[in-house]
Amino acid sequence: MKQFFRRLQYLLNRRRLERELASDMEFHREMSQANGTFGNTLLLREEAREAWGWTWIDRLGQDLHYAARKLRQSPAFTVTAILMLALGIGVNVAAFGYFNLMVLRPLPVRDPVTLLHFQRRAPTNGADNFPYSEVAFFSQNARTLSAVLAVSFSRLKMDAEDKPLSATFVTPNYFTDLGASAAVGRLLNPDYDPTPSVVLSYGFWQSHFGSDAGVVGRLIHLNDKPATVIGVASREFSGLGSGTPDLWAAIQQQPYFIPGADMGGLQMWGRLRRDATPAIAEAELSSLAARLRQTDPQDVWEKETLPSEPGGFALTLRREMYPVLAIVGALGLLILGAACATLGSLMLARGVSREREIAIRISIGAGRARLMRQLFTESLVLASLGSVAGLVLGYLVQRSLMVWTDAPLWYNPLPDWRVTTFAMSLGFAAALFFGLAPSWQIARQRHRATKVRQVLISVQVAASCVLLIVAGLLSRALTHAANTPLGFEYEHVIALDPALEGYSPQQAAFYFDQLKSRLSRIPGVESTSMASNPPLGNRWSIGKTPVAGRIIDVHFNNVDSQFFETMRIPLLRGRSLKRGDTTQVVVSDSLARLQWPSEDPVGKEFSKGTVVGVSGNARLVSPEDSDAVEVYRLAQGDLLPQMVFLIRTSGPSETVLPAIKSVAKSIDPKLFPQAQLLKTAFSRKVAQAGYATMVAGVLGVLAMLLACLGIIGIVAWAVSQRTKEIGIRMALGAKPAHILGIVMRQFSVPVIGGLLLGIGGAAALSQILRQQLYGVSNLDPLAYAAAVGLFVLAAGVAALLPARRALRVDPMLALRYE
Amino acid sequence: MPKIEMPSGALVLLILRVLRSGPLHGYAIAQRIHVLSSEVLRVEEGSLYPALQKILLKGWVNADWGISETNRKVRFYRLTPEGVEQLEAELSGYDRVNEAIQSVLRTA
Repeated sequence: MKQFFRRLQYLLNRRRLERELASDMEFHREMSQANGTFGNTLLLREEAREAWGWTWIDRLGQDLHYAARKLRQSPAFTVTAILMLALGIGVNVAAFGYFNLMVLRPLPVRDPVTLLHFQRRAPTNGADNFPYSEVAFFSQNARTLSAVLAVSFSRLKMDAEDKPLSATFVTPNYFTDLGASAAVGRLLNPDYDPTPSVVLSYGFWQSHFGSDAGVVGRLIHLNDKPATVIGVASREFSGLGSGTPDLWAAIQQQPYFIPGADMGGLQMWGRLRRDATPAIAEAELSSLAARLRQTDPQDVWEKETLPSEPGGFALTLRREMYPVLAIVGALGLLILGAACATLGSLMLARGVSREREIAIRISIGAGRARLMRQLFTESLVLASLGSVAGLVLGYLVQRSLMVWTDAPLWYNPLPDWRVTTFAMSLGFAAALFFGLAPSWQIARQRHRATKVRQVLISVQVAASCVLLIVAGLLSRALTHAANTPLGFEYEHVIALDPALEGYSPQQAAFYFDQLKSRLSRIPGVESTSMASNPPLGNRWSIGKTPVAGRIIDVHFNNVDSQFFETMRIPLLRGRSLKRGDTTQVVVSDSLARLQWPSEDPVGKEFSKGTVVGVSGNARLVSPEDSDAVEVYRLAQGDLLPQMVFLIRTSGPSETVLPAIKSVAKSIDPKLFPQAQLLKTAFSRKVAQAGYATMVAGVLGVLAMLLACLGIIGIVAWAVSQRTKEIGIRMALGAKPAHILGIVMRQFSVPVIGGLLLGIGGAAALSQILRQQLYGVSNLDPLAYAAAVGLFVLAAGVAALLPARRALRVDPMLALRYE
Repeated sequence: MPKIEMPSGALVLLILRVLRSGPLHGYAIAQRIHVLSSEVLRVEEGSLYPALQKILLKGWVNADWGISETNRKVRFYRLTPEGVEQLEAELSGYDRVNEAIQSVLRTA
């Protein structure tokens, strides 16, 4: 320890102590001059200093200084290299930055680590939502939780506004427990105050009240019920979960704003006491639930358990997200890989031009290790600059995406320590990849190390090939989607979501009866139907169900008897569902073929129901997933308030749309029916896929350009190396084609190897993509051929550009060369 | 006279030993060793100063400014209490090893 302090002290007084040592040695030499011992004084001094263990700092300083000078000397190379790295790192930083904000970084609320998000599970049931009675019971009785928070999302109409706003009803302790502060006014008190009052979100305050501080105390009408604005939450306040609503109100006031609402459908969070663990809290809540069930068997399930997950994050990682993460990560790393490989070949080529410099330095006594360290320092400097540029680029990409996607205000893409560390580690890994091999080669003066070059070419080719193939597959899927029947007809259908909030099943049934009879009187309406998961909508119920011995995802949908007719889905066997069917189901042809390959499915049992009919395959909800199989049940009972109405028109749907909207509203003026053309929904879905395709395409083309740059560099180098040989061959009468063949041949093996590697990689990677491809096979030969063809073409041109120089070699000059 | 290379461990021991009789500057240390070994051992600059730096680092000696016999400002190295301890330890260790070697050489 003492020794460490002496060492440190030496470092601090280095200059003085080094002078003293020099003076000691000078004196020594003066005295011993008679004996005539002379040595390299600098070297001797350096050797003596080495005992203190700080020489590496000097060397590092020298190396950095030298590297900076070298890089300044060739600005074109430096800028190219930094741009390449910035691209490779920036793409990854943007992706990781989003992941960090959503999954890794706790929400900006008080003590987010102690928050747990609860779910309900029973042997046959599962839900995210809690009834109010259960939440209140937990809140009163749970000893492992210091607070229970619950929220429920709704839509309300404000004053005379046309568009509904999003409101979150919260337990009154919500703001205090999350440590929120008000921008103006105050927030909800933890003790419930029965005066109807609301808290505005910062964004809503800006957009609807022009950031007017006088809004506090103002009376607004929500669903025609007066309520006072008591304050505005601060800009940074995120709340729990991923979105921020327009306003908050106490959960107890939900029935006041929405008559008939039962304060149910609550998402529940708990704040863990310091001495408790999640497991203890889960066990306590499960036993509390059992106790509550004795008095309230309706709200609590039998054998209900309450699993928890960390609650202080915008998003909790679920198994379903892994494939998406894997694919994004793989694409990002591929770009970085391509950038590194290209940079590696550039570094090698640069090494050749520095041959003389290196040779001189070796001949005046530079050790190979020292030389290599110095060259690698250059790579590290480049990598750090690249990381910084990548951070900036990643930030800009996120920033523009935020504007584009209307992200919540608390979302802050400024890199934090995680993102910075991530970028720096990527930079370091990249430096290892693009810098280590070349510096080793250069330091050993082995410029003819074609092996390394060939490996680098293969990597570039493979990486850009994978990206191009993925882009090709996605764009194939896109054209396929636009031209392939989905199994149902959507051009003339309108989906009408009346959003029957607070309706009982009876009220909902009455509403739909009215709607049906009134709509059928509108000219141009051909037939009507309803479904719990409307086609091309954002709702789905997927059940993991055993089919033919395998657990697969089955899309469940609750529909009425006219559904198949309205959606033009053919019934292949049996009959449609009809009123009074309780356990009967209709299954899709694909499911029937899987489950009963050679038998008649009608009359068979499936998923606690009897099959009465087989419908044609219709990928209603996820047209991109060709593996989807469907099961239809009759819509009834509790599900009715959630139904979406489907209206088929005989002419263009647009003309009927306003009439339909006004009818839906006239039955109950409190509602906000949302109507949209399925046509529009479909083009929006395709546009999303188009966006993904565009991103993959841009990345693919970038990778290809990078690879081409690398190829140009390496062919140019090969030509310059073989000028003499080419000259002799030409003097002996070789034809131009022959010369070109010689130059290009040595690259055919690595390019073909890279192509094969890329095709294999794409085949493996696209396995994950299969469910997004609208039924296009992930081994679609056309996509592969197009991508490979494009690449070969581009690479060929890239190779020819410098190779032409070989043809212009003047035999006489070449022979005299050197 | 052939030059005799000294193991660096031995050099540290010798430096500590010649400093026991009082502070000396670097050149004097080299001279003292040279003279006391009847001009057999010669300590080169290239090994003396690294060894001195190492001893400084270990804290066995201090360096203070003084005036040399030629009237020049120069650093004198002085043994610290830790240095004395280290010298004792090394001496006894050296004696034991030396005896052991001698006895092997005599009897084998």
